[in-house]
Amino acid sequence: MKQGIELRINGDNYEVLVSPNNTLLEVLRDNLGLMGTKRGCDLGACGACTVLINGETALSCIMLAMDAVGKEIETIEGVEEAGLLHPLQTAFVEKGGLQCGFCTPGMILTAKTILDEEDHPTEDTIKKKMAGNLCRCTGYKKIVEAVMSVSEQAGEGR
Amino acid sequence: MRLPKFRYVAPENIKEVSTILLDEPGAKILAGGTDILPNMKHRVELPSVLVNIKKIPELNSIQQDNGDIRIGALTPLKKVYESPIITENLSALASAASSVGSYHHQTMGTIGGNICQQNRCKYYNQSQWWRSSRPTCFKAGGEICHVVNKKEICYSCYCGDVAPALLVLDARIIVQSKDNSREIPLDTLFSGNGKAHLNLEEGEILTEIIIPGEARDGFSTYIKIANRESIDFPIVGAAFRGSVKKKEYRVAFTAVDRKPVRGSRVEAFLKGKNLSEKLLEEANQIASKEASPAKTSTYSPSYKRRMMGLLLRSAIQEATGREE
Repeated sequence: MKQGIELRINGDNYEVLVSPNNTLLEVLRDNLGLMGTKRGCDLGACGACTVLINGETALSCIMLAMDAVGKEIETIEGVEEAGLLHPLQTAFVEKGGLQCGFCTPGMILTAKTILDEEDHPTEDTIKKKMAGNLCRCTGYKKIVEAVMSVSEQAGEGR
Repeated sequence: MRLPKFRYVAPENIKEVSTILLDEPGAKILAGGTDILPNMKHRVELPSVLVNIKKIPELNSIQQDNGDIRIGALTPLKKVYESPIITENLSALASAASSVGSYHHQTMGTIGGNICQQNRCKYYNQSQWWRSSRPTCFKAGGEICHVVNKKEICYSCYCGDVAPALLVLDARIIVQSKDNSREIPLDTLFSGNGKAHLNLEEGEILTEIIIPGEARDGFSTYIKIANRESIDFPIVGAAFRGSVKKKEYRVAFTAVDRKPVRGSRVEAFLKGKNLSEKLLEEANQIASKEASPAKTSTYSPSYKRRMMGLLLRSAIQEATGREE
């Protein structure tokens, strides 16, 4: 049976009707039209569906929508700041950190949590924490370069 | 892939959880969800009710109590390996928790959920469509095992990373039900029966893990080999703890049998001896006979046996190197 719940996404509240078996990914894409979050493997292995729940990475394809009630959800749509791209997004564009772009929303959100936790992560930390975000175009080198370039700017008033 | 239909409840205390589990035999617990939800999408687990226990606040904590370290079952793996109490004194647990799945699984997954994770098998962890080409396996509700052609025995393999590390640290667990709570050694939790891999009574849930203060003596480590180091279940994992002064050692393996295995023969062999290169060579041989892996993954049992020995040797070398 469908049930009304309220989700807080990117600072806005949304009321949606969901079934218990709806994943957060389904609700974001199908009910709310927030298509930035991608459906990849749909089994929690590829990281394309990454969102941030209370600032921590979460795989929205293996998370129930009902489980996200009362939590701060951040998707790629909420990353821009006042109409301007987030420094990470700019860096991905400038460094060529994307080819087909399907993995990019997940990559950027994971990178964002890494930089939120520490200003200057090592390349190893970035690689280890982003290992759960698969890029089938295999453009990993440019992606890591993009994240590193933002971490280098961090001291200069990012 | 849609999830199958189920009823969802999110009680706020353990008593309520236990009551629901007793009333609804088809109910299952949802914690991090990284294990049960993919299995449900594959239609190999079909609970009538999902009981979300994350609303119970007191189960998410790491505390020191009279020297013992008590970890709530709902503590996320990331919190476990970032906690100074764990990283400073219990390196086997820290390395095991940080080697589970990907970083995303570590932020979502809980230590209790990792311990209780469902056994795995190449004929079981597959989509409904993949499995439809042959009769349903015994574990998924059918009558036949495709690994060993015997009825009524399931050879699925326990693949958790954290359990072997906790076994070498002599961990105990607290299991609670509606009006009862009992403390048992961790190894008695695992039944060795692939079909029902945990020895839990109806209505019981794992609530806490207790690591005795003595486990901080000496050094410990956990290492695993996996297809992709970053995101996969172990092909074989080995945990080791030892004290050079006391010359006492603990060994445990994962992903080699229907439950995590203590290497009691190799422990007895090493006891009282100095860990020389020659001794490690012999220990390597003994270790590879500690379990009976079945062909539940694409890796052959003989490969797994060889890796058990080699991993133990590397684990000992890593651990002793650290103490010097």
